[in-house]
Amino acid sequence: MTQLLDTLPQKLGSTEAWAERGGVHWLDPGNLSVRELCLQMIAARARFVTITAYQLPKDEGIRMEYHWDLMGTLLGFPFQLRSEPGENPKIESIFDLTEAVDWIEREIHEEYKVDFTGRDYEPLLMREGDKLGVNLREIADICKPETGTPGQEEVKK
Amino acid sequence: MSYKIPMGPYHPALEEPYKLDMICEGETVIDAKLHIGFNFRGIEHLAETRNYIQVIALMERVCGICSNIHTLTLCQALEGLTGQTPPPRAQYIRVIMAELERLHSHVLWAGIASKLMGFKTMFMTCFEIREKIMDVLAAISGNRVNYSMNRIGGVNRDIDDPAAILAMIEQLETEMMRTVIPIFTTSSTARSRCAGIGVLNEEKAISCGVVGPTARASGLGQDLRRAAPYAAYSELDFEVPVEKAGDVRARLFVRALEIIESCRILHQALTKLPPGEISTGDEKFKFITGTATSRVEAPRGEVMYSVSWKEGSRNPARVHVRTPTFANMPAVRWMVMGARLADTPLIQASIDPCYSCTDR
Repeated sequence: MTQLLDTLPQKLGSTEAWAERGGVHWLDPGNLSVRELCLQMIAARARFVTITAYQLPKDEGIRMEYHWDLMGTLLGFPFQLRSEPGENPKIESIFDLTEAVDWIEREIHEEYKVDFTGRDYEPLLMREGDKLGVNLREIADICKPETGTPGQEEVKK
Repeated sequence: MSYKIPMGPYHPALEEPYKLDMICEGETVIDAKLHIGFNFRGIEHLAETRNYIQVIALMERVCGICSNIHTLTLCQALEGLTGQTPPPRAQYIRVIMAELERLHSHVLWAGIASKLMGFKTMFMTCFEIREKIMDVLAAISGNRVNYSMNRIGGVNRDIDDPAAILAMIEQLETEMMRTVIPIFTTSSTARSRCAGIGVLNEEKAISCGVVGPTARASGLGQDLRRAAPYAAYSELDFEVPVEKAGDVRARLFVRALEIIESCRILHQALTKLPPGEISTGDEKFKFITGTATSRVEAPRGEVMYSVSWKEGSRNPARVHVRTPTFANMPAVRWMVMGARLADTPLIQASIDPCYSCTDR
């Protein structure tokens, strides 16, 4: 298990080692796309757990943390999505590679207005007349100035 | 000619609202589509407006059956952000509560499954046993449903008389070994009603990312209590039941065996309960900036919390909850494909779905 974990960064093309923080083994995916990462995870027989999205402060965009379980070890790969004003942040969908992501991609699309490209959507939690992003994004902009999500650099500390 | 039959959002087979649209040809289901969100409560957003005491009380209400598991997972994540380590006695009490909750959940599910099998007497028996499990939970926590046991750095209440609790559990075990376990493992009624229906093979189980008893009934031996032990599980001896068939009977069988294992864990935890404090005693906590994640093996499978906090803030910046039904439910589509329409209520119930958790 340890050996598999040690060799994974190299297989993923990363020169960094795992950083263990907050119960997760983190690895910066660098230039690796989310689809390439997914294929490597499937090859390593890792199990998809979830994606956690965070709206970052100011114009830092959205942080997406992809979590995979490798024989009981929780792995985390953060991706930062930036977008032009008025446009939705975009990231490739991995639904065709692992169907376990279906509901969480749909949920993040509805809650954060993130577009997962290359897939069709059907509403998951939304009802007719609902607006994308209302649940966790736009409301968060209004009522969270005093707390605020930690920025990308702050989380890395 | 194919036609569509909806099950839900309100249906006698469902304890909570969701909808399964089934496309049928004759009596055979050829495809299905699931709809959730009928009771969506926006708890993750609400959590961002609550302080660290309030957020524990709020997250206890994500689920009515595994309420303790939610606060346990959340508190473990919050302990990661505050640098608290619960004392050993608190870790054992957390295991005892978690296993009692597993018993409660599995026996409740056994009752519902019995009702859907047409086995009404068994339904009554299971609910009678469930009441007694809730008596044990109330004897420890003072509450029957939302136990308010977990806090940052430990638990809120001690077990003053472990021998008395052990005696209650032994009585329960005797009763379950006489009724629930033989019915679900050897009875021809259960076997003939459940064998070969709602099959989810190992390959599909991996691809759908299912968790808990649903995964273990499809040949996947994943259990966080063994793979990534938390609380005091690393000091306790237990088996992880795995079945390969992937059908409803296998799910029934796995849960029956897990009831036996839970009793075994409870015996050990209550006998070995270490002396000492039940919490670190801190009342005020200093949170560091960052994200902490915690995972726990709930009765229905893996629960994961990611909590993000900014130093100096009163409230969490983000609380993300991944519940087991959220992972298991999409697999129902594959389970009902090819099934007889009359079997679908039992098939969907076989994953022990919790829509309260899913519509968090």
